Order: sequence, then C-alpha cells, then structure tokens
Amino acid sequence: MRIDHTHRPWFVVTLIAAAVATVVYILYAVNTPTGPRGGSALGLTFGILGYGLMLYAGLIGARKKVPTWRIGRGQTWMRGHIWLGTLSLLIILFHAGFAFRGPLTTALMILFFLVIASGIAGAALQHFVPSVMTQRVPMETIYEEIPHVRVQLCEEADKLVASICGPMDADDTEEPAAAVTTLVEIEQGDKARFREIYLQQVRPYLADPEARQADLADPLRSTQIFESMRRLLGGQLHGVLDDLENICEEEHQLSRQIRIYRWLHGWLLIHVPLSIVLLVLGGVHAVMALRY
Amino acid sequence: MCTTGAARRACARCASHFEKRKQLQQQMSDQIQLTIDGMPVAVPAGTTVFDAARMHGIAIPTLCHQQNETPVGVCRVCVVDIEKARVLQASCVRPAENNMVVSTNSDRVRRARHTLVELLMADHPSPCARQRQSNDCELETMARLEGITQPRFARRLSPRGQDNSSLVIAVDHEACILCDRCIRGCDEIRQNNVLGRRGKGFGAGVAFDYNLPMGNSSCVSCGECMVSCPTGALTNKSVIKTVLPGDPVKVEELQQLAYFQKVSGTFLELNKNAVVRRRFRKGEIVCREGEYGSTAFYILEGQAHVYLDTPLAHVKTGGGSTGFFSKLTSRLVGRQQERRPEEGARFSIPIDASVDLPYDNPVATLGPGDLFGEMTCMSLYPRSATVRAATDCVMFEMLRNVLDIIQRNKTLKAQLDANYRKRALDDHLRSVPMFATMTQEFIDLLRDKVELVRYTKGDIVCRQGDIADSFYLVRLGFVKVSEPHPGGELVLAYLGRGGYFGEIGLLGEGRRTATCTALDHVELVRIHADEFHQMVDRFPEIRHSLEQLAYERQQQNRQRLETATSMPLDAFLTQGLMEAQSLLVLDLERCTRCDACVRACADAHDGVTRLIREGQRFDHYLVATSCRHCRDPLCMVGCPVGSIRRRNSLEVIIENWCIGCGMCAKNCPYGNITLHPFNVMEDDPMNPGHRKAVVKQKAASCDLCTEHAEPTCVYACPHDAAHRVEPNEFFRWLGTPLAATEAQKH
Repeated sequence: MRIDHTHRPWFVVTLIAAAVATVVYILYAVNTPTGPRGGSALGLTFGILGYGLMLYAGLIGARKKVPTWRIGRGQTWMRGHIWLGTLSLLIILFHAGFAFRGPLTTALMILFFLVIASGIAGAALQHFVPSVMTQRVPMETIYEEIPHVRVQLCEEADKLVASICGPMDADDTEEPAAAVTTLVEIEQGDKARFREIYLQQVRPYLADPEARQADLADPLRSTQIFESMRRLLGGQLHGVLDDLENICEEEHQLSRQIRIYRWLHGWLLIHVPLSIVLLVLGGVHAVMALRY
Repeated sequence: MCTTGAARRACARCASHFEKRKQLQQQMSDQIQLTIDGMPVAVPAGTTVFDAARMHGIAIPTLCHQQNETPVGVCRVCVVDIEKARVLQASCVRPAENNMVVSTNSDRVRRARHTLVELLMADHPSPCARQRQSNDCELETMARLEGITQPRFARRLSPRGQDNSSLVIAVDHEACILCDRCIRGCDEIRQNNVLGRRGKGFGAGVAFDYNLPMGNSSCVSCGECMVSCPTGALTNKSVIKTVLPGDPVKVEELQQLAYFQKVSGTFLELNKNAVVRRRFRKGEIVCREGEYGSTAFYILEGQAHVYLDTPLAHVKTGGGSTGFFSKLTSRLVGRQQERRPEEGARFSIPIDASVDLPYDNPVATLGPGDLFGEMTCMSLYPRSATVRAATDCVMFEMLRNVLDIIQRNKTLKAQLDANYRKRALDDHLRSVPMFATMTQEFIDLLRDKVELVRYTKGDIVCRQGDIADSFYLVRLGFVKVSEPHPGGELVLAYLGRGGYFGEIGLLGEGRRTATCTALDHVELVRIHADEFHQMVDRFPEIRHSLEQLAYERQQQNRQRLETATSMPLDAFLTQGLMEAQSLLVLDLERCTRCDACVRACADAHDGVTRLIREGQRFDHYLVATSCRHCRDPLCMVGCPVGSIRRRNSLEVIIENWCIGCGMCAKNCPYGNITLHPFNVMEDDPMNPGHRKAVVKQKAASCDLCTEHAEPTCVYACPHDAAHRVEPNEFFRWLGTPLAATEAQKH
C-alpha cells in the first residue's frame, strides 16, 4: 500500500491517540511510587487496549478470506492494520512500563518488535516496489502464468529456428523439408552455424532461464552475445536473431518479475507466522497474568 | 473453340461438336488394312491408329487419352512412326489409313517418348499426391518404366500453386500436365462444363469457371475430374480419418437417391466411410446441444424432436444474504423475472436446422427430408440443439465432403430451400422490426419473392458505399458487418442465423453504410429493392414505418461514428474501450499483485472469476476491463444459437437461450467470458417420476456487480489500487498536465 496524502486522516487520529496515551502514561508513571506496572488498573487498561489493537491488526487475514462481506472496504482494513498496529506498539510499551520482566514477557516483546519491524519493512517494500515493477517489467504477466509463458516462449523460439533450419531433431546434413523460401537463399553454412549456436546457447537458457550459469541470463552479456552472432552470421538471419533477442529479453523481464515479486511478498513469510505466534502467546500471557 | 467452362456452356456450337464427331464415327463402316509393328491388321475406317493398335493387343503409352473421352493429342506421348510421314504422329487422333505402315516402338519413337516424359517429370512434384496416396500416378509410373530417375532439365522457377478451396478435391497445379482429361471429363461425361483452360504458353493451366477457386466455382464436386486426372493434380481430399459409427451405405444404394445420382461412383467408393446409415430407437438422443461434432444428419424415415435442454435464463449476480454480511450470489433469471432493455419481442430461437424454435416453447419436430447439423458439419460449430428420436428413425449421417456434394445438387437444394421457406422464413421475416407488424398477406407475398443465395468464406456480400439494392436475412453461417475506422476496422456485428442487414437498401435511395463479409459457409435470403417496391406500392402504409426505421438506423450509425472519432487516445480505440460503460483500472504503482481482486471476484461468483488482472496499459494504469466491447467481437462468431449479441449501446450481452457450449469463451481472445455452472433439477429418464440434479452451464461476463455501489474487486482491494472509472473522463484526464504531475510525484 502506498503511504500518501490519503493516509492523512489515519495519521492524524493515530497521532492524537498516541499523544493522549502518552500524556496519560506520563501522568500515571509520575504519580505511581512503585513505577508503572502491567498489572495495575491503568497498566491493564493499556494491555487490553494494546492487545485489542493487535487483534484487530491480525484480523486482516480473516477479512481477506471473506472479501464479499460488506464489513468495511479492504483498504480501510489495511490502513487500520498499519496505523493501529503501529499505535499498538506504543500502547503495549506503556502497558509493560518499558520493562521486559520475565521470560514470557521478554519473548513477547522480542516477537513484538520483530513483527513491527517486519511490518514496517513490508510497508516500505509495498510503498516503493510496485512502481519498480511497473517500470522495470513492462512485459509483466500474471505471476502464476510465468511457467506457462516460458514454455510458450521456448516453443516460439523453436518454431522460428525450425523455419530456417528445419526441425530441431533432424540430422544436420539433411536439407530441411519445410525451409522458408526467401528471395535470397541462406547459405547452408550459415544455417548450420545458426542452428549450432541456438542449440548450444539459446535453447538451454530458454529451457531453464533460472540456471545461473547461462550466459544469456545476464542482459548485458546477452546483448553482447547477440551482437557477436550478428557479426558471425549472414544478414539474412538478422531478422530471426532480432526475434530471438526479443524472446530472451522477455525471459529477462520474467526473471526480473520473479525477483521483484519475491521482494514484494517474501517478507510476509516472516511477518505472518510471527504475528500468529505473537497473538497466541499474548493470549497465554493475558491468561497467565490474570489467573496466576 | 471456347476455352472456358462458362463460355462453353453458353456456346451451342461447342455443344454440337462432340455430337458430330460421334456421328462421323458411326458412319465409317468400311474396313481398312494397315500394318502395325509388322503385324497386318484390319479395322473399320475412321479408327484411330491408337485404337487400331489397342484392338490388336498393342499397347501404346499415353497420358492425355482416355477411352471414354474425345482424343485431343496434346501430350504427344502416344506418337508413332508412320512410314513416309514427315513427323511423328499422335496415334490417338491420327486416323488409320489403308496400307499405312506404323511403328509404335522404333528408336525414334522411343527417344521422343523418353524426352517427353523427362520434360514432364522436370516440373513434376515427385512423388505427387496421387503417387503418395495410391502409388499409381501415370506419369511417374511411365517415368519408372522409362528408367528416368533424375531429369536433365531444370525445374521451372515460377510456381503454379495449389487450390485447396474445395472440401472434396485438392488441386495441385504443380502436378498438372495440361492433358485436358479433367476438362473433357467435366464436359463430355458429366456435362457440367465447369473446367476450362486459362492463359497461354508457360502460364497455361486449368481453371474453374472464370478462373475462380474450385470451392467458389459452380463445381458440383462430382469427382469426375479427379477420377480422370492421370497425376496428382486433382486428388481426393482425405478428410476421412474418422470412422463414423453406423452401417456403411453401398454406393449403388446411394446412387439410387436423387441427390446422389450425379456424383461419381469412384468418388463415393473412395469416400464410402463418409456417409453411414444410423438407426435410432424412439427416445434415443441423436445429438446434444453444445457438443462439438463434424457431421450432419438427413432424416430418411421417422420423426425427431429438436429442443433446447438448457433453461431459458441468463446469469444475474445479486445480493444473497443481506445486511452486514451481505454476499453476492449468482443465479439464473428468466425473462418473466427480469426483462432486459432492448430485448425486443423475440419470437424464435435460431438453430442449425430447417426450423427455428418458438421462444416460449422451444420444441419443434423434424421429419423425412429434413437436414440438420449443417453448420456443425460445414464450419465445425457446436450443436445448437438437442435432437431426440420421437419415433424409430433412420438417418444418414455424413461428413462435410459428402454434404458439400449433395448441397450442390439442384434437387436437394430445392427441397431444402422449400423446407426453409415453409417453416422458418416467416419467423425470420417477423424478427426484423420493420416486418414485425406487417400483415400476413404481405409476408406471404414477400416469401415468394425472396432469393436464396450462397457465399463462401471471405466473399464480400456488399461493400460500404455501394448502391444499396437488396435486403438480406441470414439463413446459415455468419456475416461480419464492419466499417473502416482510423487505426483499423470497426466490427459492428457478427450476424448469425436470423440476423439481417441492408434494410436501408430496401428504400433504394441510399448507399451501403457498412461492408458485409461472409465468415464461413453462408446462405442468405435476398430481397431485391425493385420487387420490394412493387409490394410496398400495394401497401403504402408500410413505407412510412420503413422510412422511420431507416432514419433511426442512420442516426445510430452517425452517433457511433462520432463517438468513435471523438476520443483523445487512439491506442485504446483498438481495444474498443471507448464503447465500455465502465472500466476497471488498476493503478500499478499501488497494486502489489496480491490478486485479492481476482479472489474476491471468484468468491462473488460461486468460484468462477470474471476478472483477469491483465490487459492494455496506459501510463501506470492497467485497464483490466471485464468485457472489452471489442471493435471486433470475436466472441459472437460461431454461437450456434445466436445468443450473444450487441445492444445499441454496443455492450455485449448474452441472451437467455445460451446453451453453454463455450464457443464464445473459446473465441474471446482476452478470456473475459466464463462458463458458469448451475445445478438444475430435471426429470431422471432412468427413474420415471424422480428428478435429479444436473449441471448446466451458462456463459457470463463481468457485469461490474451492478447490485452494489462498487464492484466486489474494488471493494476488496486492500491497496486502493482498483478503481471503476467512466472511460471518457478517465482518458481525458490521462492526457492532462494534472495527470503528468501526479505521475511525476510518484
């Protein structure tokens, strides 16, 4: 989500709430001889409020499971998740009196900081990375379709080459049965060289674009390789080489898309499990603290 | 002599030429004596040297001569050495003379024959189609006997090409040796006079009518030319890898039927698996709506009911549970519950048979002489209705090569046309608004004035700007109605059976406002303006309503053109986006590609999403429109029941009688049409008195969740990236400095 001027109302409300909470806490802390404690009336109030805010923030996962329910727009829930979740940090710190105390509470605080930190990092990624994706991957496709698109690109490249050199599995010495007739005949030697280059360099890359050792995986290196192919092969093949280069460029973009997508969503693999653990342990802490 | 088949048909002199030749031969009864290869022979006067040799067991090789055809002596392979003759003589045309001494196998003859075959083989695509199919190309056989493996002569540089327009016969001009056998077979044996010669010298070849593609010519696909051809120039198209279930029909039996009588027996023998006899017991299903097939049925005995098994309803998405936990749900809604604007007073549902189904009770009966499944057979569209045997039935089931042949038979065509006029034409005429309120007397008069015409794929029925002189109803196939537009063609409609165009032309004063092109095998009902005027003179009150309708149509066309030309951005015109009522736009700089919108759409529509997060991009916006209301609505092509159409607002809607075949979904290049399954209760034939749930499908596209203030996808987006916008406003804003400033900020 992009944090922009549309978040201003939320920011203002959060700021006001934080300011009010801070004033209350300062007054409470100053006037408590033994110092602020989570078990005191105000401490408990802060705790309940803080846990409530954490629960609300956690409920966004459940909200996404029922998208058609008219219980508030998705973006409202997300903004609430960000701002009220951030506010919950302050409230919980006030509840704890800025002290970690026992092992459970220490663990909770560490978890809490990790969740908040991962959340802030995620918010930052989701603020900046979408525009990076838009600019750097103009040929973006749906992420789940990438393997299918890659297969299609590979088939397209095979067909391009087969139209010049014949089927990929034919004997090198055979004249291709369905060669494209052009106004200017392509030298047999050129065809053989082209086929060899394609089978040795381009095809392996298209078959497994994520393989690191492929020369063509690097865009700069790919440009150099295609330039050298143009110098090596006759002008009649340059059109096909251009098409192959475009296919490789599309593969680069798909690889780039995968990487950016992982940045955009990978942080959730830390944030979500930690949040669940935090909420569960928070509940355990509440029961333990109140009962015992 | 006339060289083209069309010219020859019109020429009386050519027609009598062959008759005179036969009479001449009959008059020659005197015997003559000659010597062939040292053997004295006696033959009737007038016998050719070729025939004289053949009668006495001496075979002279030939390529252009066939016993049942008039010899022409073009190939010169049958040349013989006649004593005291200046040059070698073509034996097939050279009459034998008294005391003639003939040598059929001298060194001179052998050298000449060898060179001739070698020259012919130089341009022959060896192995040709016939050699590959049946290993009996006469030229290649001759070459093998002559010991010719590699001709010394270079192959010709300019290709002569192929013609695959016929469903039945493949034409390979490369393999043609210009022997004229096919021409003589077509003229002399079948008297069809379709084939002739074109060009001269190096450019000579055989041609159909006035050099039309074979499939577009008046060729009746009898197969005689193919049977006559010595090489692979004319070969049988083997569309028959399929073995049809049913009883094979003997060729002799087929030829007893009126519409098979003129078909070549050899052709029927080669294609004997292409037509079978099927027997259906009472109650048995012949075919089901929505199934894909490649055959047509002709009823010989019995009666069959044809009906739609799918509920007559469209998909409507609306509120399920209400209030706080309101949830959308999709259900089937019939015309009684919701009548959509511009639906019109629909009387009938067009199907692929000689009848249409009445809308209110979509059942009809077919009987002996009825043909159904033409469109499925000719153009591979899904079956348009379910056919069940009402009594024990006997039918022919046939593949398209056989259907094509018999459709060209005048007897069957007349019968099918008569059926159409009697049973379906009235409904079609009434479905045209201008005829809806006409008196029955007028309709009866009109019915007899119409002409049934045929077009093949790609034929232009009428062009924009032409003088409009006819009105057309679509009886079979699909017609594309389009007009040129900056950036390309704008397709206004795809008209299937029951559709109509050219009503402005009936007034005889205008020009065509669009170009109409046949998309596949099309049959049209044509009403000429002249004849129409004569009728209107008898019913003057009709003229006023016609003029009113024509004026309204012209206004609509003008408005549409103005809309199309007023948009600021040309790029999205190619997508037809200006036609949309509303666009779904994704801000790619906010969108995290989480697909929450897609999941929400699926959740709102019983698991079937109507949104794909893909589409045209403008700046950093992705226009992930639902239906794009394309300039070229390919979704409309091939609907077997014509249930997908365009409203006047150009929005695409799917009618109640959609049979869920999925053709529109398959044709939509953007995947914007989905098939929505519904559980419907129907009688269980295995358990009378009980009902069972069956799944029926209906095509649906995004309706932008009109039941709610905003679509579910927009409501569910957690990143404020999805927006519904009015296209005109949005794209005007996109081109403004404000938009540029906003873009720079990001």
